[in-house]
Parts: sequence; structure tokens; C-alpha cells
Amino acid sequence: MEVKSRMRRTASVAMVALLGLGLAACSAGEADADLNPDEVSGEISLLTPIFEGSPGQDLLEDELLPQFYEEYPNVTVNVDYTTYGNLNEKLTTAVVSGLVPDVMLMGVGWIEAFADKGVLADLGELGLSEADLKESYTDEIVEAGMWDGNVYAVPIMLDTRFGVARMDILKEAGYDSPPSSWEELIEIAEATTVRSSNGSLERAGFDMMSLDARQAFETMLFSAGGELFNDDATAPAFNSEEGVAALGLMADLVNKYEVEDIGFTSTDDIVNPLINGRAAMGIAHNNLWTQAQEADPTVLDNLEPFVIQGDASGMFFGGTLATVANNSKNPQAARALLEFLSSPDAALAANEQRGNVPALTELLDSDYVQSNRFVQFAMENLDVAQREGGPSQWLEVRGDFAPAVQGALLGQKTPQEALDDLAALVQTAIDR
Amino acid sequence: MTTTERHPIRSAEAAAKQVSPSTAPKKRKRISTAEKKRRRAGWLMITPSVIHVGLWTLIPVIATFYLSFTDYGIFEAPKWIWFDNYVEMFNDAVFMQSIGNTVWYTFWTVPVSMAVAVVVAVLLNQGLKLQKFYRTAFFLPQVTATVAIAMVWLWIFNPQYGLLNAMLETLGIPGQAWLVDPQWALPAVILVGAWQGIGIKMLIYIAALQNIDESLYEAASLDGASSIRKFFSITVPMLKPATFFVFIISIIGAFQVFDQIYVLTDGGPANATTMMTYEVYRSAFQEFRMGMASAQSVVLFAFLLFVTLISRRVTKEED
Repeated sequence: MEVKSRMRRTASVAMVALLGLGLAACSAGEADADLNPDEVSGEISLLTPIFEGSPGQDLLEDELLPQFYEEYPNVTVNVDYTTYGNLNEKLTTAVVSGLVPDVMLMGVGWIEAFADKGVLADLGELGLSEADLKESYTDEIVEAGMWDGNVYAVPIMLDTRFGVARMDILKEAGYDSPPSSWEELIEIAEATTVRSSNGSLERAGFDMMSLDARQAFETMLFSAGGELFNDDATAPAFNSEEGVAALGLMADLVNKYEVEDIGFTSTDDIVNPLINGRAAMGIAHNNLWTQAQEADPTVLDNLEPFVIQGDASGMFFGGTLATVANNSKNPQAARALLEFLSSPDAALAANEQRGNVPALTELLDSDYVQSNRFVQFAMENLDVAQREGGPSQWLEVRGDFAPAVQGALLGQKTPQEALDDLAALVQTAIDR
Repeated sequence: MTTTERHPIRSAEAAAKQVSPSTAPKKRKRISTAEKKRRRAGWLMITPSVIHVGLWTLIPVIATFYLSFTDYGIFEAPKWIWFDNYVEMFNDAVFMQSIGNTVWYTFWTVPVSMAVAVVVAVLLNQGLKLQKFYRTAFFLPQVTATVAIAMVWLWIFNPQYGLLNAMLETLGIPGQAWLVDPQWALPAVILVGAWQGIGIKMLIYIAALQNIDESLYEAASLDGASSIRKFFSITVPMLKPATFFVFIISIIGAFQVFDQIYVLTDGGPANATTMMTYEVYRSAFQEFRMGMASAQSVVLFAFLLFVTLISRRVTKEED
């Protein structure tokens, strides 16, 4: 274990050094291209939504930051912990008060708004290029940290959503593998749905309610071959034929095929229905594997991940990226921390703690990834994964998706009406 | 002989007093040094409070009114847009729904919790055994963090494992998806709101009950009045000032409901439980539209002012 840790540390230092060399090479003439740890100094603040809670704080303060201080002894990091639920409030008050943290960890889909408004530093000016990053990450992941052709963020971890099947239940129903098309998904879901004699649902054939309605829709949209926005992100595209088909399928699964009832599961459920057998299939987050390891390791062998396949492959990814404030008084120290947090060692530790997917391609071979089937599956399929976001107004409008999707599932509107109304709202925000 | 005749000086003073006010020179009331000191001390003592209110209430209120006429998205300076926010707000179906939800929530939580509170207060004022325990128990929700309370209610309302559905099932009544069914989500939230509001109202009513003169009840008893008659003819009228106070603070509290929505439903499903305060939050912190959030806050303020003024008027007329 110690040897592994030492190897990771060595790899991390090497990675940082390589990154530094790469930066120096690609941005010759830039004063800050190569960081000399002895010359980098100052007090910087870090706003993070991913190290909250005791295990996260312990990891950051007892393991990661001491490593950083070892390399940068003249830098002091003040950490401001938050959660993704409260990150917007933190950032809003920070921007309004002019006290923007030097280094901010934020999600996919957030970069556009903050980069567009000049809150984030163009990392290209700090010596970080798109080409460098694309050597270490897949294109789509790098692009999640870009705006208007410039790099504003470096990925640390990914949150992916994909299909998961309980193979023991599927086999009982006569199916040897997860569905490979929407038609099969409907068929298997119907076959594995169990209702009691009075009609109340006992097992959902396909669970979509345990995760955020927006993300469930996005996963289905991608599997239909649809996109959220047009190419230049100036108009919504989710109300296309593909989008309507995706939402239509979701609504049909509930209302026509009756493979899940509204309220049967929810995002507040302590145990995911795929773990306790209340669902045969569903859309799940990659950390379901870690949850199952803790809740009931006996089901691990029965959990089979699959890409939801319609006209295209449907897999969703969000994630956490590191950014530097445009007005940082210590940009070199901030850059040093950004590079450290996104280095293999630190990123791997953070991912392991949260059961998430490392963004760095090279970490596919790490022990953690190889021992976590869902993370491994996610990394192996990142080429088909798509992200949310697009226009700089994404944060303004993303909250409108869930009510629209819920409205369609509840039968208050047809999928077309729900998406058209949502598209009108989104277009208004983009045009504003 | 009159007093004035006997005392010439007083007589002159009396004469001076009879001079018409318009022609008489205005006489400044002399303030003693002690009085001056007392007044100065008074001003000194309220100064921190005045500064606090000015800084943290008055200025933000003025700023809110100003910002409500601007397009302010935190990243750029506010841009004056006159009534655009108000026009957009009143054309926004979700905000209009939030007004309806808030009014509906208030309509149910305020009278229900007041009625329960007054009954509980009367019962707990009878010198029951374990009276202190019951008072504490009823007041506990008031001093417990709403988030903690909401977490408990999340479990109670859970359609699969929840206490409520389990109880209903034992009675042969089918359970409901309380917080995810648009039909039931708002009533569920109302139930939590009404329950949580009982404690403080009960406490105010108990204090008011203890100020009612016992002789009124004794007289009524001598006249043969029943307990119910005494309750409606003595207790309820004597609690009127307390009731007015409880009514106003309850309405203000109900209109400002936020945390239980934030934790229990996030305004869903399909905006079925969104409230005005939640829309203010969404505009400000999810959409970064501080101008719109300010306009929504102004509308909320106007609602509260209107309801308070109406309540005052009604109460005065009744008095």
C-alpha cells in the first residue's frame, strides 16, 4: 500500500513536472510558464464542493495539502468547503462582494457563465493550452472546461450516468444481457416489473426517478441521438424529434408500459433501488458501485452497467473542474494549486474518496479504476459520453428542465408541449 | 374669595393663560438638565439599534426597490429597465403559480395552526399533570432547525417506508406518493407548516390566557355557563389582542416559507409546491437575476403590507 502510495506520489510529481515542461514549451516567452516552487508564494483561497464532510476534509487537509506544501512551502491555502447544492450561493456572494476565491472547483456547465463574464482566468495566459490538455484527457472533457476557444478549467473528476441492470433479475426473466435498444429496454422492463395483487408496484422494471429528472432526460436524449443545443449554442435543440422521442419514451415507460410509478423511488432514497432489488434496471450514477460495496457487497456481481442504446449511445457526464480567479492576487500560487489538484495523485485520491471517474485518461490503469467496475466502464466509454451545458446562460435555465420533464411524466403536458414550452423559456434567456 | 384673588402672582398667570393662543407669545417649555441628560442617554442607547436597522434593514430595502427596476445579473453593473422585471414576472406562469401556492399555503397553515394552538394552550392551562413536558414537546418544533424537521418529514412521507403510509395501510387506506404527486405535495407541505407553527402560537396564547381575570370565569360559573360557553364567550374574546398578533406573525411567517420547500420538494413536482420566496431564491441564486429577484421580493413585501393593513383595519373596526 505504501509502495503504491509512493509510486503515485512519484507519478504525480512527474506529471506536474511534465505538465510544467509542456507549458513551458508551448508558451515560450510567457513569464509564468515554468513555476519555481521556491519563488511561488502567497496566501490563496480554495472554494471546493467536493471535499465536504469529514472524509473529504481529512483527505484534503491530512493527505493532499501537506503534499502540496511539501512542494510549495511558501504558499498557504485557506479552504472554503461547500456542497454543489450551495455552490451557486457561495459564488454569487463572492462575485458580488468582489472576494472571488483564487481557486474554485466547479461543475461541468458552470464554466461557460463564469468565463463569459470574466470571473475566470484564461489558463492559456497562465501557460495551459487546449492541445496539452487533449494529450491527457478526451476531447469532450477538455471542451467542458473551454469557452470561446480558450481554456478556463482543468478537469479533476467526472460524474457519469448510464444504464445499470440487475442481471440476477434479468436472468430470472429469461434475459442474458442488458438491453441493446430501446425496444429491448421496454420489453425487459415490462418483463421484470412486479406488481402485487392489488396493483401496487413492488419492483420497477426501469427506474428513472432515483436521479435528477434533468439528468435522466439528458441521458435518454443522448441515446436518441439528440442534443441540448445547436452547434454554436445559440438555440435549444432538445425539443427536436429526438428530444420528443426521448421524453416520450420516459413518459410511456411510466404511463403506458407502467414499469415505474411516480414516487416509487426518489432522489432522497437512502438505498438505491438497484441495490435492494426494488428495480431491475435503471439509470444510475457511477458511484452506485461504491454504494453497493458499502450497503450490500453481495449484489456487486449482479450489477451490470450498459450504455443506453437508441439511435445513438446514451451516456451522460458531468464533473468537477479546477479554475483560477481572473483577479487572483497570487495567480502563480493559484496555478500551482490547480495543477496539483488535477495531478494524477491528488485527482485519483479525490475520485476514490467519492467513487467517481477520474478525468485523466492515464488513470484507467490505476488500481482504483481497475477495481471499480462502474468507474472502469465509464472510462472505457467516455468517447460516447456527452455533457450538459453549452450557452453561457446554462446555469440560469437548467433548473427549468426538471419541472418540464416532471410535467410530461405526470401527463400534464405532452412531451412536445413540455419541451416546446421549455425551449421558449431557454431561448428567452439566451436572447436576454 | 377665589384663589386667584388671594394670590396675585397666580392670578396673573391665569390671566396670561386666558390670552388667545394666536396673540400670546409662545412660551418654550423649559427642559430640566436631568431631563436633557435622560433624553441624551435614551438616544445614545438606541443609536446602535438605529444604525443596525439603517444599515441592515433600511438600506437593503431601499436597494431592493432600486434593483427591482434594473437588469442586474451580478456580473455587470445594474442597468435601469423601468418596469420590465414586473411585466415579465406577471407574465411568468411559474411565478403566478408560486403566488397561488403561497396564498393557498397561508390560507391553510395560519387558521389551522392557530386553531390547534389555542385549543392546546387552553388544555395546557388547566394544570394538567406533566404540563411542563407537554409545553416543551409542543414548543420543540419551533426551536428545532427546519432542515432537521424536514428530514424527519421526508421519512414520514416516504411512499415506500414512510410512517404515514404505514399508518394508513393499517387502516386499509391506500398510501400516497405524498411529495411527488402534484395532488398531494402541497397539502403535505401545508401539514408540515401547520404542525411546525403550533409551538410559538401556543406559547403566546398561554401567556395571554394567564392574563385573563379568573373572576370572569367564576362569575360565568355562578351563572351556570358550560365550559364550551365560557371558552367562546370569555376566552376567545379576551384572546383577541393575542389572536391579532398571532395572526399577523403567522401570515408573515407563512408568506416567507422557504426552508421546508427547499428541503422537502425543491418546489416540485412540476412546480406544484413552489412559493414566492423559493422563486426569489431561484431567480437570485440559480439564475443570477438579482433584479428579477428584487422585483419578486417587492411583490412579496407588497402582499405582506396589504394583508397586514387589511388585518389592522378589520381588527380596528371590530374593536
